[in-house]
Order: sequence, then structure tokens, then C-alpha cells
Amino acid sequence: MRHKPIGPIAVGVVSLAAAALWPSGAESQPREPVYVGVRVCSECHEGPRAGHQFSIWRQSAHAKAFATLALPVSEEIARISGIPEPPHRARVCLGCHATGADSEEWERDETFRIEDGIQCETCHGPGSEYIDAAVMSDPQLAMERGLRMPDATQCMICHAPKGSHEAVLAGRPWEVGSAMQSIAHPKPREASAAAAVGSQGTEPLLGTSERRYAGVDRCALCHSGPGMGFQFSRWRMGPHARAYAVLATPAGYEMARRSGVAGDPQASYACLRCHATGAGFESASFEDDFDPRDGVQCESCHGAGADYSPEAVMLDKVAAKAAGLLQPSAEVCLSCHQQGHAGSPFDYEAAVARIAHPTRPAVAAGVNEPRYKTPVNLALTPDGRELWVACEASSSAVVIDTRTAEKVAEIGVGGQPHDVTFTPDGSIAYVTNRLDDSLSVIDVGSRQVVSTVEVGDEPHGVLTDRTGRRLFVLNSGQDSISVLDGETLEESKRLVASRVPWSLALSPDGGTMLVTNTLSRFTPPRTPPLSEITVVDMDRAVIADRVVVPDANLLQGVAWHPSGEYALTTMNRTKNLVPMTRLLQGWTITNGIAIVWRDGRVDQVLLDRPDIAFPDAADVALTPDGRYALVSSSGSDRVAIVDLDKLIGMLDAASAEERERVFPNHLAKSTEFVSSFVETEASPRGLAISPDSRTAYVANALDDSVTVIDLESSTAVRRIDLGGPREISQTRWGEILFHSADIAFRRQFSCHTCHPDGHVDGITYDIEPDGIGVDPVDNRTLRGIYDTAPFKWTGLNPSLQRQCGPRLSVFFTRLAPFAPDELAALERYITTIPRPPNRYRALGAPLTEAQRAGKRVFERTHASDGRRLAASERCVTCHPGPLYTDRQKHDVGTKGELDRSGLLDTPHLTNIYDSAPYLHDGRSVSLEEIWTRFNTYDQHGVTNDLTKDELNHLIEFLKTL
Amino acid sequence: MRLLLIPSLLLAVLLAPAPLVTAEPPAATRPAGQDSDPGLPFIYTRWEQYTVEDGLPNDHIFAVKADGPWIWIGTEGGLARLDKRTGEIRSWTEEDGLPWRVVSAIDVNPLTAEVWLGLFGGGLVRFSGGRFDHFHQLNSGLVNDVVYGVCIENDNVWAATTAGASRYDTITGEWTIFTEKNAPMEEIWNYGCSFDDGKMYLGVWGSGVLEFDVATETWKDYLDPDGEMEIDLYRDDGIVHVITTGVSAVDGTFWATTYFGASRYDGRHWRGYFKKDSGAPSDFHNAIKARSANEAWFSTDKGLGVVADFPTDTWVVYTTDHRSHTGRAVVSRGGQVVETISMSPNLPHNYVLWTELDGDDVWVGTSKGLAHGIGKGYFPGLRRKPVKAQSVESSEIRGGE
Repeated sequence: MRHKPIGPIAVGVVSLAAAALWPSGAESQPREPVYVGVRVCSECHEGPRAGHQFSIWRQSAHAKAFATLALPVSEEIARISGIPEPPHRARVCLGCHATGADSEEWERDETFRIEDGIQCETCHGPGSEYIDAAVMSDPQLAMERGLRMPDATQCMICHAPKGSHEAVLAGRPWEVGSAMQSIAHPKPREASAAAAVGSQGTEPLLGTSERRYAGVDRCALCHSGPGMGFQFSRWRMGPHARAYAVLATPAGYEMARRSGVAGDPQASYACLRCHATGAGFESASFEDDFDPRDGVQCESCHGAGADYSPEAVMLDKVAAKAAGLLQPSAEVCLSCHQQGHAGSPFDYEAAVARIAHPTRPAVAAGVNEPRYKTPVNLALTPDGRELWVACEASSSAVVIDTRTAEKVAEIGVGGQPHDVTFTPDGSIAYVTNRLDDSLSVIDVGSRQVVSTVEVGDEPHGVLTDRTGRRLFVLNSGQDSISVLDGETLEESKRLVASRVPWSLALSPDGGTMLVTNTLSRFTPPRTPPLSEITVVDMDRAVIADRVVVPDANLLQGVAWHPSGEYALTTMNRTKNLVPMTRLLQGWTITNGIAIVWRDGRVDQVLLDRPDIAFPDAADVALTPDGRYALVSSSGSDRVAIVDLDKLIGMLDAASAEERERVFPNHLAKSTEFVSSFVETEASPRGLAISPDSRTAYVANALDDSVTVIDLESSTAVRRIDLGGPREISQTRWGEILFHSADIAFRRQFSCHTCHPDGHVDGITYDIEPDGIGVDPVDNRTLRGIYDTAPFKWTGLNPSLQRQCGPRLSVFFTRLAPFAPDELAALERYITTIPRPPNRYRALGAPLTEAQRAGKRVFERTHASDGRRLAASERCVTCHPGPLYTDRQKHDVGTKGELDRSGLLDTPHLTNIYDSAPYLHDGRSVSLEEIWTRFNTYDQHGVTNDLTKDELNHLIEFLKTL
Repeated sequence: MRLLLIPSLLLAVLLAPAPLVTAEPPAATRPAGQDSDPGLPFIYTRWEQYTVEDGLPNDHIFAVKADGPWIWIGTEGGLARLDKRTGEIRSWTEEDGLPWRVVSAIDVNPLTAEVWLGLFGGGLVRFSGGRFDHFHQLNSGLVNDVVYGVCIENDNVWAATTAGASRYDTITGEWTIFTEKNAPMEEIWNYGCSFDDGKMYLGVWGSGVLEFDVATETWKDYLDPDGEMEIDLYRDDGIVHVITTGVSAVDGTFWATTYFGASRYDGRHWRGYFKKDSGAPSDFHNAIKARSANEAWFSTDKGLGVVADFPTDTWVVYTTDHRSHTGRAVVSRGGQVVETISMSPNLPHNYVLWTELDGDDVWVGTSKGLAHGIGKGYFPGLRRKPVKAQSVESSEIRGGE
């Protein structure tokens, strides 16, 4: 219900809209509560008898919480937090800036408005079942109906210190005591309330307005969001929006008293005249959704808007003017402000500047962050005339003319493009966009994106068969391969890969495709990695074989020898079962290539040397004449040129024992087959070689360039600039540090080694600081972790700089630690690593039945037998939104025989579906196992009473977080 | 492998008539009773047998699935794959990575070539490219590890288990459980499943047949209308019994078996089958496999029964007499024997657990090995015997009785 007449709010009147929801008497039965919004609460909680609780809220930061997301600082916070969505559309931002942001539509009554920010129901629970005045008069009943009386603990879910906000916002630290005081909203004693009411009357004085008032909410339908400069939010943060509410403050009362107004200023036309739009008019002057408590609204300056507010009218300036739209004038402002209470002269120009609301939004500080290219993979057109480069940071494909070695075009594609390929006739280019889960289809001739096709999660490699009739896309986030019809681009089937399929290569005869999987298969605890190369039968487009590469992980690049006898893949050999002290022996992480023979046999050789490793082998390409293989090392900025005759000759001459046990670990063997190393620019990744075997191209991801290598002389002969910015920002510097192995002893690895794509390598490590052989821990993702401190499974590191500081040097890298400015840059980069949007539920999308049932389990307060669960026994207590961690340590009964303590940091659950294995030591390969195998005594929440379908529902809900 | 051949003369006679009758309309299209001699169905007279001696990991054959050149065989002791081109059998046991030794159900996704295995007590397995992916009730959403049936439905895999049915969406990874909570299951012991024309049919021990419409996600149940456990009170009024052991749907018709008879339902009419008044070898059925709306194969405890031509109620029952080391096929119509054909042993054992149709061929899992009926010259329905050949053939056939 909206208010029409200006006057005191009728205390005790209940929203009819809300009342319609309530059951009564014997018909009552438990129902799902819904959010009704602060306006409904205010029906009883406003006015002097209620201590002006609504007005107190309206003046608080909570009421502006949503609006502040429009500020440039919010955009900057989101940027440095790796949140790809704008803040007002980001679930993690909205979780603390708006009530019920993650709720379904049915959970929000029509009286509810998310723009009201943090409302009563954030603290007191969705109100539909207890908001009835009769219920609220019985505290016990109200509690039974869902009314919550929170303590400071709940405040801390959002108000615990957040690195992202501290980095951007200059302000005093939030302190719970003073904060609680600032939002205190006690109900006054009856006598004082009666005195405050006084005897003021507010009968309409001005009759009916010539035009009807629509209210600011009507204006907000169009005048909100970035396209309109967040005009509504800007108003909402301004003093005009609080004009009505301030009348309820002691200062408001005092000013009123000095002006001769007795009692409640909100009931005085003399006050309301300048503190509420439309004051004095009769109720017929207002549309239904007009609310005078919105203070001085748009229509105070622009005229009553019911007639001009329709969009069609507003788009016609003449019509809008004819319908009553006014151009604000100084007279309007001065009619109130000239005789203001401040005492100082009214500076009209300054005031207008303060409330300026242009449709072009203010520029966020972060917008000045240079937009780099970050080329990651490239491909030559079939005729070899053009080189197309997928540029991850600029969401574009850059086209290079190979004859002039110049950039000739740049085509915008989806988010974080990763790979590019062409149809056999070269007419169409396909680019995978891993942030958007899509495939950009580009007409090569016109350089236009002709369509964008949805594929699986986080697509990486893409390739067609020899005819172009089938297209294969690697869904690295779903461990699958999408097979698309080349004509219709519809997905015909999805094949199961291993874990995080990365790259793919077609055999020379077109009959077989190899797919690398960068993460090892799940292996039993304390056993080495076991990686897979998935073999696709191209005739049937089915999986023909799965070649196992023992003791290896991070298989990425792959390419066939033109003979079709074998293929090469890049790989790491991570010795994660021994303490990382073995770094001093030079072999904690070794790097090299696997030789995959047509019959499924596999050899492994290292490209490391005893004095310098070959970190982060990213891609491999073979010359069409079959003589050389080029392998990029993104961690050491080099490309190795492998003499294939020598490599194969070495293998042929070796014993089975040597091939199986010696070569895979031999740090000097590469001297026999690596003919040279070519220096590149920063972080070389994708490789391509010209059809004449004379020229190679390397994408330098962190230099925004392509290095041209002359294969006759084995030298880098040219740097092709892709047009990225010249300057190196702090974030970019951090990115370079993150991807460089210069920090590690003998350059064995970089931060990126264990966190490819800023994510996980999926294996468990024994890190020395805990003691050798003690506390093995699963690797954790770096995506979206800024505000999830403390870090480390033990929760010992309060910040990322602490996590990546000297202790990293002592226990991981064994070289001098990062300098302070390097550390700051590294932290800044890590925090910006994007957190992909949740693939199981978009913001505000309805939950499926199973997800909805799972949410009930997640939030349940009673066990299946009716027993009330203690707070510590509920999922939501330790995993509250929006980050789904309370950032505290808990013992959930998972202490293993190698663990010193069971007290562990509570992990966040954002996108939990893509970071298996689970629990601190990675013992749980699926979400199910967390509770079916490792929660024997209900210490990780009470779950053993759940039926199998209830547990399935819970997991479906968890996947939406 | 033992190739069991019938006498060459008889074989020639049985196979020779086909070209002579091609001009005639199929006998199955003629209404029963309008012709005193509607003809005979195709009789499988050439049989091969496979046992542990041929490389099977175990002779208890619970499931068979044809997959192009391969026959997948689920046994009590592991999984086997017979290459029809070479006759070679490769097997996988727990030592080879098979997560559980008893393979009780098999289906193959025709798009992806993934082989899905139901394990009796071990859950569900996806076998792809030589890798076993194990889904069980602890590491996945599978409702129970005792899996009797597995069926592919689009991108979903269904598992009929002893505690309900599970549906696994291979794209999203979502598991859905169907029990008495969300399906009309009076009991939750799911014995078998069959997918046809947008509908998943579940054979439920104690709950008849349940039909799930994939598009609308709605259920329909088929229960014994008379509710009698011991007798079928009214003939052809519905499913004969609710203790369902198998269901097979094809061409819009489903066939269902129980331990107390069998049923056929074409969407409008029911037909019940009992040993006492049909050609069925037994009322105790282990499984059912339909080739069409007119032909279905019944795996029973007393041999392999076939409704070879539904319109004429023509049955063929294959059994082996292990004492005399002979096999025979008995053709009956309306419960009356019309022909008996002797042959070398056809089934390794008369306790039949599973039947799989493979083009014109048939593969039969028994409690003592696998049988392969070679369907060269197979024809659906019935054909009259050519007069000239018939005189020779009939005497030979009768002589074999």
C-alpha cells in the first residue's frame, strides 16, 4: 500500500498487500516466508509512538547501501576483487548491499524493493509470516513465525574487515559497538511518544494538484543503472532523499520548535512544505505508488509527473513539456533553501553541482587501468597469410598480416578468449571465450562476428575435423568435449574428457584427435598424479582410448608429428608427495614433454637443465617438415627448439628401464636433443609455425606482442606489437611476477604453475612449515578470494601479502622473497583474478525444485526428527552468504592422521562445483563424500539424518552459490 | 566357442524357402483364424555357445548388450566384450579396474559410445575409452548400489536400483531420485527399465510398470487391476501382477514380465500370458526383450520363450535337454503345439536371465553361459512353408522329434 495524503503515518495500520498473504486461525500452516520490504514494516514502525524507526533507518547507511553500488569506488572495489559483473548486478556485492538480493522472485512481495538497500528483514528475517500486527504483539508467536532478533555476530558477516574495501575506501575501521549505537532504533516510552506527537494537524491545505504526482519510484524505472548515470541512486544518496526522515531527528524537532511548530515535524505542513514532495495536496493528487516519505523527490523540481512519466512521452521533449515536465529553476530551490536552517547563505551554484545527475556516469578510478591484450593462443589461416591471436584481457582477436608482420585488425569477441581455429577452407574463425562459456563465430572475410554460440563451462581448445563438418570445443570447467555440427553449430553430443581438458590436436590423417587434460585424475590419497590424454575417434566422434601419463600433471599444449607416428604434449612432473624441501635437490617440479605414440605408449623427457629449469611448458608446435618441435616456457620467457631426430634417436637407443625410469627424471638429457633456447618477451604461450617450416610465432601473453622466430637461424627476429598500453600498471606488474619463475630456485616454477588460470592444480602438497610429512593440504583457488581472509587452511595468514611474503620464500621458492612493492603488486593481481559467474544460477534466476529443496536443508533449523539444531549444527551458520564463509576456524571432525590440528579455516563456497577435490587434504573427490564418508559424527553440520534425495538437493543448491 | 549346427539338409530346407515366398504378404498381417495354416515363424536353428572356456570371466550371465561389432556381457565375475568379427573375448575384472565384480545391467549410449554398467551391489559405472568412472551411493547421488537395470535416455542415465530409480544428467551432473516420495511407487524395488519414444518405463517389484513422460516429467502407473497376488481374476484387464521383473518398450507397445506371468500393452489393449493358456514355457520370468510390437523374447526359468507373432498368438520356446544333449524349438499357437523342431543344443542352460537382440541375431544369457542364435534369413511374423519343400522338410522335422 502506498500513501496518498501527506500526514502522519497511521501507526498500527498493516499493509493490505502483506495482510493478504497471511493465513489465519485454524487454517494457519507453516509457509515459506517472503520479503515484504521496509515500507510494510514502516506501517507500524514509523511516527513518534514508534520512535520514528523508519526515519532512523532511512537516514542510515543501510538505506543507501544499494545506491552506493553506483559509486565509482564500488566499481573499483569490484575490479580489484575480480568481480566481472558491475557491482549493482554482482551477487557478492548485493549480498551485503541489499536485502534479499539472492532470493527468487516469489520470495519478494510486490511491496519489496531491492533499491531500498539493507532493510529490516536482513536482520529480522523475511517478514510475511510475522509482520501482522496481531502476531507482532506476541513476541513468542512472532519468533515462531520467523522473526529474528540478531546479535552483532550477524553484522560481522558483512562488516568483518574486507581487504577490498579497505584498499579503496578511506575511513575509520568499523567498530561494532558504535555501529550498533548508530542504528539503534528503540521504541520510546509511551509518555514521551505522546509528547512527541503533540497536537499538530496536517489537513490538506492546497486542494488538489493540477497534475498528479507519480513518485520517485516511477522515475527510477528509467533513471537508474549505468546507462542513465545511476540517477536514482545518486538521488538516494543525497540529502533530498532523507529530507522527510530528518524531521524525526532531535535536531529536526528542535528546529521545528524554534520555528513555532509544536510536536511531530513530520505532521506539520510548515515543515513538510520543504521536506516532502507534494506536501499539502489532497490525496487525489497522488498516484498509488507515490510515497511522501521519500522526501524531496524528482517532482519537486521537475513538476508532478504522472502525465509525462511514460517513456513514450519523455522521449518527445515537446510532449513531455506539454505534459508538465519543468526545467528546474533557481526559484524552485530558493523557495526552500533561501530561508534554510543553516544560517549561512545558500550557494545555489554549489548546491546544484552537488546534486548534479548527468546521464553519463562518473568515471571510476579503475577505469583508468590500462586495458592490456594478453595474447594467449594463436593460429595461422590455412593459407598462412594471416595470424589470428586470441587476446584474453582485451576480449578480442587480433589479426596480423604475416607478410608485413603488422597488426591489421582487431575483432571484439567474448570474455577471456582463449583459443582460435579456422574451418578447413579458412572462411570462418572460431574463438572460445572462457569467461562467457561461448564460442564466437567470425566471418574471416568481413572480420565480423556472425554469431555467438553457447558451449560448456570455461571453453579452452577448439578445432574442427578435416572436413569442417564437426567442431570440437573443450569445456575445461566441465571436463567435457562439446561436439558441434559444423553447419548448424548445434551441439550434437558431449564427450567425457578427464579433468580440465585444455588443448587438442588432430592427427595428420585426420582420424584421431588428442586432448590434453591439465589436471590429474583423482588418485588415492598420498599417491602421485596420473594424467590422461583423451583420444577421440574422429570417424565416430567418440572416445577411443585414454592414454595415461603417470606421475605427470598440467598437460597443456599438444601437437602431432607430420608422420602421424607420435604427438608431443607439454607436462609437469610435480613431486607433491615429498616435502618441498626437495626443491634444493632441484626436482620438486620438473618440466618437459611427453611423447605419445600412436599405439598409446608414452615416453617422458625433461626440458630442464640442472642449473635452470624450463618452467610452465605451455605449448608445443612441430615444423611441418617434421624436424623440430618448439616448446614455450611461459615461466622463463623462452622457447626450446627440440631436434626431433635426436629426441627419437635417443629414445630408440635407450633401454626400457631408461625410458621408463631414468629419462622422465633426468635433468641433463635435454642437452642431447634441445638444439637451442630462444629468448622471447614476457610469458610466451601459444605457438604457430608457418607451412614452409621457416617461421614460428609465439604469443607473449604479458608483453602484448608476438615474437617472430626465424627457424633457419633459431633466433627471434621481430616483435609484433599488438597495440597494448605501454605503461605497466601495478596490477600488470603483479601479473608478470605471478607468471615468472624468477622467484624460484633454479626457476623451477611460478605462482601460475600451481594456479593455472588463477585456479587450482588439483593436487595435495606437503609444505614444510608444518613439519615434514605433516599437514598435507589441498591446493585452493585464487579466484575471488580477496575478502575471504584469513588464508591458508590453518587460517594463519591474515592477508595475501602475508601469505605470499617471506614465508613463501622460506618454504616454497627458496630464493629472496618478493620486495615490498613487488608483494603489493602481486597481491593486487591475485585479487583481480576473475571469479567466473556461477554456471548453475544467474542472479535472481529461479531455483529448480531440487535447488530450492536444497536451500531449505542448507538453512534448516531443525533436524528430520524435529530436534532443534544448535546454530553450530547448521550449514548456514559457518557458510553465510554472500561469500559463504564466516571466515572463522572450526573443527569439523576431519583431522587426519597426518594433521596436527582439526581446527581449520572455513572455505568459501563460491563456485564450489569447480574446485574438487574437497576438504583440507583433498580426501573428498566429490561434494557427496564430504557428508557420506567424512562426517561420521555430524561435526560438519548435522547431516546424517538426511535422506539420499535430501543430500542430493543440498548439493544442487551448493552448486548455485 | 562351440558352433552347433543342425543337419545340413534341414538347414538347407529352412533357409531355402525364403526366396520362394517373398512375393507373399507377411503372414503376420493376416488376421488369425482366417487361414487354417498361417505359417510358421522363423526358427533359430544355428546356435553358438560361449562359456568360461571361451574366455568369459563367469558363466552366470546377467546382462548382454549389442554394440556394433561388439557384444558386452555382464557376468557374476566381471565384464566381457566379444568381438563378433574375430570371436575373441576380452574381459575386465576387479583386477583390471572394474569397481565391482557383478555386472547386472548394461546399456550403451549410441551417441558417445559410453558403456554404462549396473553393478549388483557396486553402483553404476561409465566405461569409456578404457576408463571406469565409478558412481556409487557414497561418492555420487546414486540412490543405492544394488543396480538391476541401466537405461540411456537422451543425455540422462537411469539406474533401476533396489531403493528407487536414479536419473543422472550427464551434462549438468545432477542426480534425481525417484521413490515413493515423488513417483507412484508402492514399492521402490526397481527391477528394470526401458526407454522408448520419449517415455521411460520402469519395472518395479511390487509396483507394476511405471511410465515417465520425459517431456512433461509426469508419471503414469500400471498396476494389477484386480489386486490379487495369487490369481489373475479378470483376463486381459491390465498387468497380470505387480511383482514386475522386466519391461521392454518398442513401437509404442510395452511388454512386461513378472514372476507370475507376463503382459503386453499397446496403449489401448492388454494381453496377459500364462503358461497354462499360452505357449509360455513358464510363469517365472527373469527378463523381457521386445523386438517389435509383435515379437518379444522372454527369459524364464524354464527356457527361452518367444511371442513370435502376436496377432496369431504364435510362440516358440527354445530349450536344451542336457541329458540327451539336444535342443529343440516348440512352436505353438493358442496354446497348442503346431511344430517341434529338433536341433543341437541351443541354450547352455534353460535358466535364462537375459536376452539381447542384435539385428537378426539373438544373444541369450543363461546361468551357465552365453548363447548366440544366428538369425540369417530371419523374417518377422509368419511364413507358409512352400509346398514342395515342405514335404521334405516336415518329415525331417518330425523325424527329429
